[in-house]
Amino acid sequence: MNTSLKMDGSSKKQVLLSACIFMGLSHIIYLKQYIKGAIFALIEIIMIVNSPSLFTKIKDMIEISRWWKGISPAYFRLIDGIIALCVLAIFIVAYVVSIKSAVSSYNDFCLEGRVKSQKESMQGAVGKAFPIFGLTPAFILIVFFVIVPLLFSVVTGFTNWDEMDGHSSPGAPVNWVGFKNFADMFGGDSSWTSAFGRVAVWTVIWGAMATITCYFGGMVLATLLYEAKLKVTPVFRAILILPYAIPSILTVKVWQYMLNGSTGVINNALKDLHLISESVPWMTDKTIVKFVCIGVNMWVGIPYFMLLITGQMTAISADIYEAAEIDGANKLQVFSNITLPLVIYQTAPLIIMSFTHNINNFGAIYFLTGGDPKVTDTTSTSAGATDLLITWIYKLTMDQKRYCRGSVLAMLVFIVLAPFAIWNFKNTKSYKEGEL
Amino acid sequence: MGTKNSRLIIKIVSIVILTIASFLTLYPVLFVISAAFSPLPTSVISSPIPFSDGFSTRQFNDLFFDSNFTNWFRNTFIIACGSCVSTVAICTLTAYVFSRFKFMFKKGMMMAMLILQIFPSFVGMFAIYVVILRIDAYDQLWGLVLIYTAGNVPYNTWLIKSYLDTIPKSLDEAARIDGANHLKIFLRVIMPMAKPMVVFLGITSFTGPWMDYIYPKVILGSDEKQTLALGLIKFIDGTANKFTLFAAGAVLVSVPFIILFVLGQSSMVTGLGAGAVKE
Repeated sequence: MNTSLKMDGSSKKQVLLSACIFMGLSHIIYLKQYIKGAIFALIEIIMIVNSPSLFTKIKDMIEISRWWKGISPAYFRLIDGIIALCVLAIFIVAYVVSIKSAVSSYNDFCLEGRVKSQKESMQGAVGKAFPIFGLTPAFILIVFFVIVPLLFSVVTGFTNWDEMDGHSSPGAPVNWVGFKNFADMFGGDSSWTSAFGRVAVWTVIWGAMATITCYFGGMVLATLLYEAKLKVTPVFRAILILPYAIPSILTVKVWQYMLNGSTGVINNALKDLHLISESVPWMTDKTIVKFVCIGVNMWVGIPYFMLLITGQMTAISADIYEAAEIDGANKLQVFSNITLPLVIYQTAPLIIMSFTHNINNFGAIYFLTGGDPKVTDTTSTSAGATDLLITWIYKLTMDQKRYCRGSVLAMLVFIVLAPFAIWNFKNTKSYKEGEL
Repeated sequence: MGTKNSRLIIKIVSIVILTIASFLTLYPVLFVISAAFSPLPTSVISSPIPFSDGFSTRQFNDLFFDSNFTNWFRNTFIIACGSCVSTVAICTLTAYVFSRFKFMFKKGMMMAMLILQIFPSFVGMFAIYVVILRIDAYDQLWGLVLIYTAGNVPYNTWLIKSYLDTIPKSLDEAARIDGANHLKIFLRVIMPMAKPMVVFLGITSFTGPWMDYIYPKVILGSDEKQTLALGLIKFIDGTANKFTLFAAGAVLVSVPFIILFVLGQSSMVTGLGAGAVKE
């Protein structure tokens, strides 16, 4: 067989064909890059040797309802199958890389008229190996703790899996159910549909209210601190910024304790002041508790916006104020026509960012109310009056073990929020200033 | 005259509003501090006036000698240190590679990371739990370190990479001419230049795990592997009614946080600025 290559590019077919037949083949026979070719070939050999177990794992995942004594539980089969799929995907990527590398080596050969010497290509390889070495830890972590869990959640959404261990016995096998879980959420099952509608509406109201109250609260405080120019302003500022430095899980728990309907100090204080005669059911009334959630969130969230808006106000250049003064604007006009629009313009993107944050603000609800109080469908769906989608997902998966329902909701949250999040990120400095 | 009066009124209104806001801010804080120093045995605090029950340090005594507080503290400290070190090491190295090398699928990988960091990580929590079971990391502190590090990588790599992009490449070239290899350039040239961002990353990845509740709850099972957040919440969860102990622990945890917040303010501003919306 003639292993010499033509320089005019006409041997491209040979190179491409051999590269496609076996990883590294063209590197060895045509391009004389033996070490590189050997590494590629080794990858393929390892892959071929392991492929039976790999495909068994994938098959076990697909035939998840099959059961026999000694087989690993369904969740292990799912995760193994997904990992096997990931390994397969990585192998395919490596294959593509090897083919591309062979073609680019051949193009270099056509340009330079000679095959790169072993030494030259090895020097290049060491330089090229550094990225591989550098990315491996991050890559492995992301695959195992981000990508695999993601796929796992998606896959569970299409099963009827709602118990941890029940399905390792033959009685109630896990099986694929297609889009049944989605259908149940959207009209198929009335209690789930109504619970989903209720929770989704409250989640959006909560996200909007929590953001608006914190933003305007922060705006008012920042304005007062900035405009009033009191001698004690620094003291006020130090006090008002305090909640930002305290871990919010602690403060939320303290509020929960203080707001307790029968023993809480807030009711006691209001009674002592003769403002109320009966205890206010802060945490147990379906309507009051929603205001309580938003109010407590204000305590936690206002300082952040106050800090931010103060920063923006002090950043406005003095020239603008001077110009306004020369034009004869009074203080109120200066504030409403200059300070306010500038600050709003600068911080507006943060409102959307904060909205997406609040939609997923697990701690603010879970540690305050735990999703309670209960409503009529809580027993069957476990969604309480103040549950957000995210806390409901948590309850469904970690407490109720209804994984399939939980992952349907998780997918919905992801699909709705992804565009917001991408938009957010594209507006950050680090994205705009960095090159891809 | 009129403007003077109106200015006075504005001033008084401001003071009134700020005083009310300060009172509302301070009250829960004072309430917790007074509960932490309450002389009562662990029970319900019902008096709305702080310190009306008197003053003692018995809660702290109970916390240190009758509960596993020191044990929780040690576990949390180990997790926080582990997550801090591994996050800084992996994120800076990855960011360096993305900033200085050209390779296949680079753009795709960067975009993938951008999209992955959107996904609220604990939505896939059950799957993470299964992965943890699969690699025998259940009830192990290092399992948590892995989870936190993996969660930190996508976003922080972007953050650091964009910072590294601003460091002139001529510095690398100079070092290369002097015979330094990639690793040396990374450690001796790039890392010192990126110090402000590395400090920010260190602080955020260290403080992150302190008050995280969900992952430890899912991953750690045994009594001796509890963290601060788990332990403190357990004081007041369900039937346990040990609010004074919780308060004492909360005060102990919050003080270092506030100190760190004050000390780290300048580097926090750098990092938050880089992550914040463009101006």
